[in-house]
Amino acid sequence: MTVPAVSLAEALPHAVHGVSQDGIPYILVRPDQLVETVRQCRDDLDYIRWIDMTAVDELEVQPRFELQYMLYSMVDRRWLRLKTQTDGEPVPSIVSVFPGANWYEREVFDLFGITFEGHPNMTRLMMPDDWVGHPLRRDYPIGGEDVDFTVTRGVLGTGGGNELRG
Amino acid sequence: MAIETPRIRDTLHINMGPQHPSTHGVLRLELELDGEIVVSCKPIIGYLHTGIEKTFEAKTYLHGLTLTDRMDYLNPMGNNLAYCLSIEKLFECEITERATVGRVLLAELTRINSHLVFVGTAGLDLGASSVFLYCLREREKLQDLFEWLSGQRMMTSFIRPGGLASDFEPAWLLAVGAFLDEMPNRVDEYESLLTNNPLFKERMIGVGVLKADDAIAYGVTGPALRACGIPQDLRKTNPYLGYETYDFDAIVADAGDCYSRYKVRVAELRESVKIAKQALQRMPGGTVRTANRKVMPPPREELGTSMESLIHHFKLFTEGIRPPAGEAYVPVESPRGELGFYIVSDGSGKPVRVHERAPTFANVQAIPLMAEGGLVADLIAVIASMDPVMGEVDR
Repeated sequence: MTVPAVSLAEALPHAVHGVSQDGIPYILVRPDQLVETVRQCRDDLDYIRWIDMTAVDELEVQPRFELQYMLYSMVDRRWLRLKTQTDGEPVPSIVSVFPGANWYEREVFDLFGITFEGHPNMTRLMMPDDWVGHPLRRDYPIGGEDVDFTVTRGVLGTGGGNELRG
Repeated sequence: MAIETPRIRDTLHINMGPQHPSTHGVLRLELELDGEIVVSCKPIIGYLHTGIEKTFEAKTYLHGLTLTDRMDYLNPMGNNLAYCLSIEKLFECEITERATVGRVLLAELTRINSHLVFVGTAGLDLGASSVFLYCLREREKLQDLFEWLSGQRMMTSFIRPGGLASDFEPAWLLAVGAFLDEMPNRVDEYESLLTNNPLFKERMIGVGVLKADDAIAYGVTGPALRACGIPQDLRKTNPYLGYETYDFDAIVADAGDCYSRYKVRVAELRESVKIAKQALQRMPGGTVRTANRKVMPPPREELGTSMESLIHHFKLFTEGIRPPAGEAYVPVESPRGELGFYIVSDGSGKPVRVHERAPTFANVQAIPLMAEGGLVADLIAVIASMDPVMGEVDR
């Protein structure tokens, strides 16, 4: 997996360029440059295949959330990692460029609470619709919600939204 | 006086699943039907969401390994492998020859295991129930082999960061050889029941066509992508574990329909047998555990004689392994497509973030593209041909 850092840097001069520990090149852009950069990667640089997207929450770091998108070039047979950072503010959606991003953005919204502007259906994906909180945030406790038994329903009533259901 | 009302063509909204025998787990589809035609299809997931990615935050890397088995439960060792490759990338840890070849053997046996379930359930969903029994007969033999090897039939956790959990017994390798020798005849047997069966073909050919451009833009991978005519197999395009030195073909079909996806998987069964046989033949001697003491504990007999080994042993079992800070994503070709673990480490014994790039997640998202405009009965064939495992979609 050789990395022609020059061509990426030339094509996208507005981004911060680097290579991760696994040898995959990454580019870091501001959220407002995201959609245009993704479009450029797809149309000019042949990164046409949608792979993955997720977020990382580093509680102590500013800005707190780092979104990372993975694309794959069928010509050069290599991956590209696209990053942007947010402190919880909405990020533009890239569903118009990659329709495959639809569920991935909903998953990040559901589990991290980051909203994507322009997403056709910004609703929860994994958790119940009336759930309170975003489980993959680092300040969301593990085991913080009560187990929902009939006998405890309405008795404990402090769960992360469980008492709202049913 | 008769009142004339305009006839309104009403659509019917219906839920398929989450508890439905053909949804392979707990997938729910919100269907809008016009008679028998599917007007719109909306997959609803999350019924199997157990917060595995959250659980990783509180586990050491070795504990986390046991969670990976439970994501794609038909491909446990493939998940172990992807997870271990990402961790080893962070360590830049070399693994031994025997462990590398052993991993190829195990990955291919697991692929056979998974594709056997596909062939069986695809037949079962379309009404050919006997092939399911034949497939499970062979799968049972494989599960017995896994139990012999690791003590577990499904959740083996056998591939560990730094190599394998234990060495292969010579008798086990012989038993695997015997299994692989009989396997091609068994595949012939399944094919004689399905491949040219006119009822099966009518249900599959031309049904649920996925266009190659859509597949790429939606991130569809694995046999579903190769059935659209795109030769994208990570074992060929971005080889890992020395796959480039094995003699096998990346199977491609071109119609993009359910039958192509079936044909690709059946042909891959034969290719996997080929690869596994080559791995058996070239199985080198030596150990299956890396010499890197930061990744794997020293052998038991060293503890009595070496102070350094004792310290490594103590540190590994009290704090776990500590990959250097950084991020890594090393994907493998699972039976369902590109599977990789994106691991972020801050240098401590517990990961900051473990995210699974699950092939089925992207594949299930693309089901409406294949289902809309078709018949309800075809939807069953579409789901069967995508071979979804909900454990890895919901994680």
